[in-house]
Amino acid sequence: MSKSFSRRELLLHAGYGAGGLVLSSALPGGGLFAAPVPAEAAIDPLAPKATHFPAKIKSVIWLHMDGAPSTLDLYDYKPDLVKLNGQEVPESFLKGIKTSTQGGVGKLFASNRSWKQYGASGAWFSDLLPNIAQHADSLAFIKSSKTIGATHDISILKLNTGDLNPGRPTLGAWITYALGSANSDLPPYVVLYSGNKEPSGGSINWSAGFLPAVYQGTAFRPGDSPILHLNRPEVVSSTQQRENLDLLKRLNTNSAARHPHDTELRARLNAYELAYRMETAAPEAVDFGKESEATKRLYGLDDEATRAYGTNMLRARRLVERGVRFIQVVSGPLEILADADDRNWDAHQDLEQNHGAHARAVDKPIAGLLSDLKSRGLLDSTLVVWTSEFSRTPYGQSGTGRDHNPWGYTQWLAGGGVKAGYTHGRTDEIGLKAVENPVDTYDLHATVLQLLGLDHLRVTFANNGRAERPTVVYGEVIKDVLA
Amino acid sequence: MTVSFTKVTSLLSVLSVLSVTTIAAWAADPSTAATPAKPARLTAAPHWAYQPVQPQVVPNVKHTKWVHTPIDAFVAAKLEEKGLEPSVEADRGTLIRRATLDVLGYIPTPQETQAFIKDRSPDAYEKLVDRLLASPHYGERQARRWLDLARYADSTGFQNDQTRPNMWRYRDYVIGSFNDNKPYDQFVKEQLAGDEIAPNDKSALIATGFLAGYPDNRNSRDLVQRKYQITTDMVDTVGAVFLGQSVACARCHDHKFDKISAKEYFQLQAFFANVSEVNDIPAEVGDVERQYRKAQTAWETATQDIRAQRTALVQPYLAHAIQYQKERYLTDSRTSIFKAQSEWNAHDRWINHRWHNVTADDEFGGYLREIAENKENPDYKPENQKLWEKYKQLGEELKKFDSLKPKQGSDTITATTELGHPDAPPTYLFFGGDHERPLEEVQPSFPAAIANGAKPNIRPTSTSSGRRTALAEWLASAENPLTARVFVNRVWAQYFGTGLVRTVSDFGKAGERPSHPELLDYLADTFVKSGWSVKQLHRSILLSSVYRQASTVTDKAYAEDPENRLLASFPRRRLDAEQIRDSLLVAAGKLDPTLGGPSVFAPLPTELKAGNLWQPPSNPQDQYRRSLYIFTRRSIAYPLLSSFDMSSPQQVHSKRDVTTTPLQALTLYNSELVLQWSQALAGRVIREAGGNESAQLDRLYQILFARKPHKVERATLHAFLDQHANVLKEKSADGRLSLAVPIGLESKERSAIDPVRTAALVDLVHTVANSNDFTYRF
Repeated sequence: MSKSFSRRELLLHAGYGAGGLVLSSALPGGGLFAAPVPAEAAIDPLAPKATHFPAKIKSVIWLHMDGAPSTLDLYDYKPDLVKLNGQEVPESFLKGIKTSTQGGVGKLFASNRSWKQYGASGAWFSDLLPNIAQHADSLAFIKSSKTIGATHDISILKLNTGDLNPGRPTLGAWITYALGSANSDLPPYVVLYSGNKEPSGGSINWSAGFLPAVYQGTAFRPGDSPILHLNRPEVVSSTQQRENLDLLKRLNTNSAARHPHDTELRARLNAYELAYRMETAAPEAVDFGKESEATKRLYGLDDEATRAYGTNMLRARRLVERGVRFIQVVSGPLEILADADDRNWDAHQDLEQNHGAHARAVDKPIAGLLSDLKSRGLLDSTLVVWTSEFSRTPYGQSGTGRDHNPWGYTQWLAGGGVKAGYTHGRTDEIGLKAVENPVDTYDLHATVLQLLGLDHLRVTFANNGRAERPTVVYGEVIKDVLA
Repeated sequence: MTVSFTKVTSLLSVLSVLSVTTIAAWAADPSTAATPAKPARLTAAPHWAYQPVQPQVVPNVKHTKWVHTPIDAFVAAKLEEKGLEPSVEADRGTLIRRATLDVLGYIPTPQETQAFIKDRSPDAYEKLVDRLLASPHYGERQARRWLDLARYADSTGFQNDQTRPNMWRYRDYVIGSFNDNKPYDQFVKEQLAGDEIAPNDKSALIATGFLAGYPDNRNSRDLVQRKYQITTDMVDTVGAVFLGQSVACARCHDHKFDKISAKEYFQLQAFFANVSEVNDIPAEVGDVERQYRKAQTAWETATQDIRAQRTALVQPYLAHAIQYQKERYLTDSRTSIFKAQSEWNAHDRWINHRWHNVTADDEFGGYLREIAENKENPDYKPENQKLWEKYKQLGEELKKFDSLKPKQGSDTITATTELGHPDAPPTYLFFGGDHERPLEEVQPSFPAAIANGAKPNIRPTSTSSGRRTALAEWLASAENPLTARVFVNRVWAQYFGTGLVRTVSDFGKAGERPSHPELLDYLADTFVKSGWSVKQLHRSILLSSVYRQASTVTDKAYAEDPENRLLASFPRRRLDAEQIRDSLLVAAGKLDPTLGGPSVFAPLPTELKAGNLWQPPSNPQDQYRRSLYIFTRRSIAYPLLSSFDMSSPQQVHSKRDVTTTPLQALTLYNSELVLQWSQALAGRVIREAGGNESAQLDRLYQILFARKPHKVERATLHAFLDQHANVLKEKSADGRLSLAVPIGLESKERSAIDPVRTAALVDLVHTVANSNDFTYRF
């Protein structure tokens, strides 16, 4: 439809339902404004909204392996690469790709891996992921992923927003916009990371872009008090704050009475009550006090090597239980690896040490998450996506590492609506390029939306005269990976 | 200077009989409007916004007493059509709070409010408006809105998010331009082509920071792709900001709605084909530059020896290191950077300049690691490990001197120029917007649907292609159907929350039609005829009865016009992020009114670990500077501001959202900073009102709301103090005695007060500062 809503108007009418936001194409131009607005519901931009069709899942856990792991050393077993180890890359494999090294790329490089098949599906895993391997039959592999970009930052943007330049909403923001919140005491879109520094690139990777800021991700930082400004100032006691808020309520109610038609003023009144509840709900969501020792061990909390990521995995499960829609987890950093490049999976040198440490850090926690979700009956209504900005080349770099590979790599899905034990697409014999059923970021996004009951073509937002959608102008649902 | 209303009406009334029918027809249905002066090439009806701006006749209306200015007549006419009444004038306190927030960006002082309330002269309000428009803080407030459009930031964005140390000069240029009431046409020309129009004028060079502010990832290995993306950013920015057109869609396909073809899009790109970013133009030397140089020299002297040793380690391998570094670029980038300078064409020149810009002086040291570790490298020797270790160790030594480096500022200017060459690289139409699939070559040209026959008059200079001057002249001409309309609509939206055209950056066919087409053209026409006087435009809006109305909505108006598009009352609006922070500082008596200068680092919440992307304030006063001076780091939004829908600096930000979230509530009532400011405000209240609690409440309300508390409020507040003092007494009785008490009191004042009672006052002040009456302007 050609009618374009400014963001504020849109928010005023957000609760209109279901349809107000998501199915904008179904509404006649201006129809939205003609009808009177039901007061409280209409104002909450995070009010739950209807899906396009029944959803398979309620929540998404988006595991971003930061720095680009070599999936050739994890899932994509290539006997030919082992055979050709140390040789030049045959010219035929390089056709149609633009590499970043003059005078030929490095020699083919097979790392020191042992490989085994697991489960009834017989999926291959290297010795780096012995725990995730136990879930072979729960995963659906996409072995033909491709993307754009030679540098991490633009490809991470693409992974999260679909664009190489900043400015578009992330997948999590689109989902929050389209579905609203299932638990008003917590933010519907949460970002988890560890380490003593914000992830590089920062909040742009969970930004709402041109959508209203209310749909952006909320960073849950390490520690007991995960959200900025969640704690009362040190000198303010709980009773004291409650009294203050009661006064505020009285003042605002009194003022709102002078503006009886003003729903926004009343929404603000409500926002303070929500905030007050969030002060309790958010720390409770990350408090492991009631988790059993067995559960903590399952996630590797008893081991220094896995504790940081395991903590985020257990947080992710607790957030899923509490109705959070989209949980974006950035892996790393590992401070134990001295070199700056090694903080994430970016193994240009010494792949052995780098991937050894990073795989160890995530393997048990992710396996623990899958087991725990399953045993609690949550895996059927949750989607776990193992993803990265790109992967690494079969040819070596610096003798011991691998360069960036956006042409062909593996990602996987697990959970509700996913065809478990299935493998989609493949790369060539050396694992450089996707050669069958290539899957781009947009296709992955479309598929995640589909499982949430959303048609990626019908989730739209009018921005500067253009009906924008999460998949830009691309994207096809990968039907084959759906159960 | 303003055109007096009487003159305008008498002049226009002569014309009224002639044109009123045409205008009415056009207003009723723009698509069937009269043919414009020059027929467009389209066969379909021309789009309203692409037709020349028409002089307007001020309508005759019934509400003659209410109408003060021509603007009022246009608004009253629409209200009368619907049978709606405009609202009475807001009370004086509301009015001065509203106008001061709108023009300066923060709340008025009780003294200013009192003076205005007591001023019984008939032009009391005019005097207020003129005082506000003459304040240098007007320029700050207006600049902030412009910086939203210019996607202003002090850093490049993307993963490394490097500091752009010179961009604050562009910010100050914008502030100065508004304060000097620089004609808007000149403002447009300087930002697009200052380097061509006045290559020796430093201010004009700084103005081109508008183009140079694009988000950038300097570590990109694809220089050719970067050129395309940078040009794309410039064209999309210019299209949205000046023309109110989302031209971006035409990059990948012929524009569905607006009849801008993909070819025309790339013809717009051709205007920018030769534009490079230059960061080392010496700035005029003032205090900032002198301080910067002093610190820089101190660092250079202290580190001379270490740096020389590092250079000496790399020197034997330098040629190989450069070779190695250049080989990391993608194929088509390498074609240019390996070419001898004598063979450069215009494209190679751009690519090599870019390579030079993004290559740091100490970038080649990394090669020592390569030859120490990579056995495949011909320079590899196991003993190179020692060289690399030594190089790293010297790097650690060097870091120890970081504290000597200049903390802020610069002594150079960032601008865009054409590097002294009039020949521009060719621009191609790209298939599907893919720069690796060029089709035909295109020349600079304006989109036909908008141009109404105008052609670029390109006059190359000895140092520049002249292309941007030609574009700027067309954009800033009275004949351009969009430039004036788009700008007056932005200013209107700033005051009323909503534009006459609600889609402020989309005047294309997908955008909305104006609610008051005649008023839009009246404003655009008088704006151009006033010599593009921005202050006069602001003044005309501020003086209108429409602006001066009370914000109370009647049942009838709500039923007929729930969106208040017809403006039967003044639309109340939540304060912008900066208005909230700056007003809190004003109330606390803390705001530092210093104008301009390098951006400052205000304190971040301790939980936010920004590493070396943020630094402690270099001066304690920095935390009290106005919000627009806080360093804009693209990857780290300043939390206090970003919670309240602060603009995003990633691309053109056309309109501030108003969202209402629990996180905002948490920010305002839990932030230690805001609590401190409330303590300071409580101290101020006691200082100014004395010990009487009723007088204190009066003062608090005068400071925050430009009024005294209503009866019910007063009773509520007194009851709160009594009750709350008891709670605090119990709390302090447990021995911890942690109470937030007023700050900024003399010892005499302090000894006279009951700490528990005043701690209750701090909580009251903090709570009242959280209330809707504070965060909204009515």
